[in-house]
Amino acid sequence: MAGLEILSPEGLRLDGRRPHELRKIVCRVGVLSQADGSAYIEMGNTKALATVYGPHEVTSKAKALHDRVLLNCQFGMATFSTGERKRKPRGDRKSTELSMIIRRTFEAAIITELYPRSQIDIFVQVLQADGSNQAACINATTLALIDAGIPMKDYVSASTVSFVNDTPLMDINYLEESSGGPQLSLAILPKSEKVVLFQMDSRLHMDNMEKVLKLAVKGCKDVYTLLRRTIHEKAEEDSQSVSLT
Amino acid sequence: MSSDSEVSIAVPGERLGSLEQFQAGNGTYIRHGYVYSCLAGIKHVRQETQKPVISVVREEQENVVPGIGSIVTCKVTSVNPRFCKVAILGVQSTALKESFRGMIRKEDVRATEKDRVEIYKCFRPGDLVLAKVTSLGDAHSYQLSTADNNLGVVFAKSEAGATMNPVSWCEMQCPKTMAKEPRKVAKISPHE
Repeated sequence: MAGLEILSPEGLRLDGRRPHELRKIVCRVGVLSQADGSAYIEMGNTKALATVYGPHEVTSKAKALHDRVLLNCQFGMATFSTGERKRKPRGDRKSTELSMIIRRTFEAAIITELYPRSQIDIFVQVLQADGSNQAACINATTLALIDAGIPMKDYVSASTVSFVNDTPLMDINYLEESSGGPQLSLAILPKSEKVVLFQMDSRLHMDNMEKVLKLAVKGCKDVYTLLRRTIHEKAEEDSQSVSLT
Repeated sequence: MSSDSEVSIAVPGERLGSLEQFQAGNGTYIRHGYVYSCLAGIKHVRQETQKPVISVVREEQENVVPGIGSIVTCKVTSVNPRFCKVAILGVQSTALKESFRGMIRKEDVRATEKDRVEIYKCFRPGDLVLAKVTSLGDAHSYQLSTADNNLGVVFAKSEAGATMNPVSWCEMQCPKTMAKEPRKVAKISPHE
């Protein structure tokens, strides 16, 4: 491609970042008062909104689990979130797969035995999509669950990494995503570095996997720093308002 | 904005201390000999006989699920000769956001004369009842019991629609019509 160059010879990407830099992340917690927990996140131009309801009684009795909580997750993309209008915001194969991915990710992180035969509902909506949608949804859901007061082993932080010109790229945007290069989505528990989600598209030589994985873990830890700062600020605000009374 | 340095804030995944120094309390879990936080809130250390108990407390309302032995506040939803169905509205002193289903069987209404209990003389639909969770029951509802002096109906309306006053452990009286209706009445201390 003469016009579009994913990585310039000077080492800069299309939006001016270096390969190991994240886009700007803006987080808000508690944006919806009628939900038990809610969070809004912007990773560059990707915007995601997550809400959590529960734990409450199981809606359909047949699905109740006698020893642990039942997680119900629904992922949707707004029709206006992409350049071309989506005709169907949820229910297609991609949304169903992403719903299942998010549910499996948080089943590993939530301490499920504390709420037997209960249900936790997670709703995630992508308001604007510009690459790394999955990572933005997982990060938003983490903040929403912590806002709801649901006990978790650790934060779940996610990032997406690509590989171009022998260089791993962190936090890819839509142009880098659609260029067809390999795409690795990783979500970890940052303290113990356990992997809770690992997904890979396209072809990548095994020799380069170590490099890509290392950058993905670093990306997750950078995101974790920002998520933790958001929760810390909110907890400090709450504790100050309590001590004032 | 200056932060309050007295209060220490814990976030999920943060290591609070070693198991040799602390016991794990609410809002924490144990892994590999260390105590970790699983909630975002304020760290609390409470002195106990052997080891101090460390816990993480949230200012906001806690998420509560009825457990065995909890005293729950219920509203009677339907009555039949063998049991009555209730909606659990609160657990101990916490109001639930969404109700859970419970069931009080005929045998669990009182401790004496179990075979002569008639459900419709103990509970009516709409009554508020204090009960204790005896088991998690089958897949449908919690098993509750009112076989205690402090458990039973705490609020009921008469046929005329007025709030009734308890006159004995098995009767309530309507202040309007002076009619007495049979109920399994809870004995509540005055300061409660």
